[in-house]
Amino acid sequence: MTNGDSVRGNTALTPLDYRPAKMRIESITDETSDIKTFRLTFCDQDQNEQFEFRAGQFGLYSVFGSGEATFCIASSPTRRDYIECSVKRVGRVTNDLHECNEGDIIGFRGPYGNWFPLDEMEGKNLLFVGGGIGLAPLRSLIWNCLDLRDKFADILILYGARTVADLVYKEELKTWRERDDVKTIYTVDPGGETPDWDGEVGLVPVVLEKENPSPENTIVIACGPPIMIKFALFSMRKLGFPFESVYTTLENRMKCGVGKCGRCNVGNRYVCKDGPVFRYSDLLLLPQEF
Amino acid sequence: MSEQNLFEAPAGWLKSAVDALLSDGVEVVAPVGAEDGTVDLAPVSSSGAITLEYLNVNQPLKRLFFPQTEVLIEFERQDDGDIDVKSQSAPPEEEMVVFGCRPCDTAALDVLDKVFAWDYDDLRYRERRERATIVAFACTGPDPQCFCVPVGGSPHGSQGSDVLVFTRDDGSALLEVNTPKGEKLMERLGAVARPAQPDSGLPDVPDIHTGFDPEKIKLWLDDNFENEFWAGASLMCVGCGSCTYLCPTCHCFDIVDEGIWNRGERRRNWDSCSFGQFTAHASGHNPRPDQAARYRQRVMHKFKYFPERFGLVACVGCGRCLRACGVGQNLVSVLHDIEKT
Repeated sequence: MTNGDSVRGNTALTPLDYRPAKMRIESITDETSDIKTFRLTFCDQDQNEQFEFRAGQFGLYSVFGSGEATFCIASSPTRRDYIECSVKRVGRVTNDLHECNEGDIIGFRGPYGNWFPLDEMEGKNLLFVGGGIGLAPLRSLIWNCLDLRDKFADILILYGARTVADLVYKEELKTWRERDDVKTIYTVDPGGETPDWDGEVGLVPVVLEKENPSPENTIVIACGPPIMIKFALFSMRKLGFPFESVYTTLENRMKCGVGKCGRCNVGNRYVCKDGPVFRYSDLLLLPQEF
Repeated sequence: MSEQNLFEAPAGWLKSAVDALLSDGVEVVAPVGAEDGTVDLAPVSSSGAITLEYLNVNQPLKRLFFPQTEVLIEFERQDDGDIDVKSQSAPPEEEMVVFGCRPCDTAALDVLDKVFAWDYDDLRYRERRERATIVAFACTGPDPQCFCVPVGGSPHGSQGSDVLVFTRDDGSALLEVNTPKGEKLMERLGAVARPAQPDSGLPDVPDIHTGFDPEKIKLWLDDNFENEFWAGASLMCVGCGSCTYLCPTCHCFDIVDEGIWNRGERRRNWDSCSFGQFTAHASGHNPRPDQAARYRQRVMHKFKYFPERFGLVACVGCGRCLRACGVGQNLVSVLHDIEKT
């Protein structure tokens, strides 16, 4: 599997007592009607300085009294002053997170899991394919790559959502579009456009095929709803992308985050330890139970 | 095992040993009978409460190290908006000696040790393990639902126990010491047991009549994730989770918060792959949408995934899942069916 192997190769055990670090909500951004982005800093200044992670890793965020929930770290590891997570309001913990205000204290355990293969991506063209809130893990990686822009060849960001209102990180989408060292294609599903929408209209896989990017020397990182990923992969196969160069993330339900609680496994792999980042060709070898 | 590691104890040894340990301030856990006829391991304050009349203890040994529910942290909201977070205090430092578990349950500790200490070291589990010395009692009369032998165990298996006791009909016993912890215990119990005569042979191992080959089963599992077999094999399962709670190797858990608005605690509770909510995503998507998928996970985890990941079968053949199932779902029959295909 991907770089999770290097994590497993480390024989020193990390002590674990499930006690979360306290983080303060510095700011809250409304992304859509049901998605908010929280900017967080550790209450303990030392932790702010010491905390490191890599793009793709996740954490267990908790509202004390509601419980823990798993989200990727949506900010870039190159931005060291804070971390951000984007949360869709769907259940108990996410509802209570959405009720939080700036200044409130929440819990955080992490970073856990493996990460995107930045070494392998060096010198390559990068194709980011995102759908809906699936842009969150990609955003961490996109900013990571943009902050190290010289290391990579062409960068293409293809992002879609059901409607214009469902697009997340709208300000950043603009920033990326205005840069001349990145190509962006934004799309919404048919019927989801507004009169002043100047992007594409069409499902992500359809727009991908129309754009017809070259698979040559290219790494694809695709994150989004399972149905979008499924059809985007059909399209990539059509376009000649080898599945060894395609990465995606799995989002199985987790409790411990560290390979013990037994619920996130796909076959003999733990999504929390061997993932969440998977090379697509490796994923095909696992039971299709995710 | 060399014979220097064998000790001879006269009838009444258990009473003397327990009383000696209790007077030293050691926590003693031993089999105690309940009104409903079940026997479970429980802390005792005198040797009088102990019973030796049981095939196996009702609940698995795991609960001493990985309790059914436990507090992980406590939290309290302060007036200034800050939240006071406390780790629940560590287990007591005093030693604990556990008497009376069976070799299947001690073998299961190998599985749990691997889960709780790979990459991340679960401190609560480790501290509880470290303070415990385990004195297992070899089986004399396994029942037809016992199947420790095909999964690599034995009614006389010493895996996971510090001392293994062979009880004779007259109440005397041979004690086999397996670890440094066991040696330390025997030193302490010098007045109770003395080194055995060189000719003290161990009793014959009772027969286990159930047989199957886990390697052959794994070969089938390797190729049959997708197979109609699973729908049929799981048809009776109602997803109650009894088999997982009573399983000495099952270790899945949930983490939940409980409390009122300004204070509460975060708990770890046993969970079960038999439950529909176990893998359900917040979106409504469920990777294991039906009981067939959940039952398949249980068999696959024990006989394929765990061996691939950690090098051993995650089943010790205690037979609890067979005895406890309310609808007669039978793991051994399922394994026999797999072997026959």
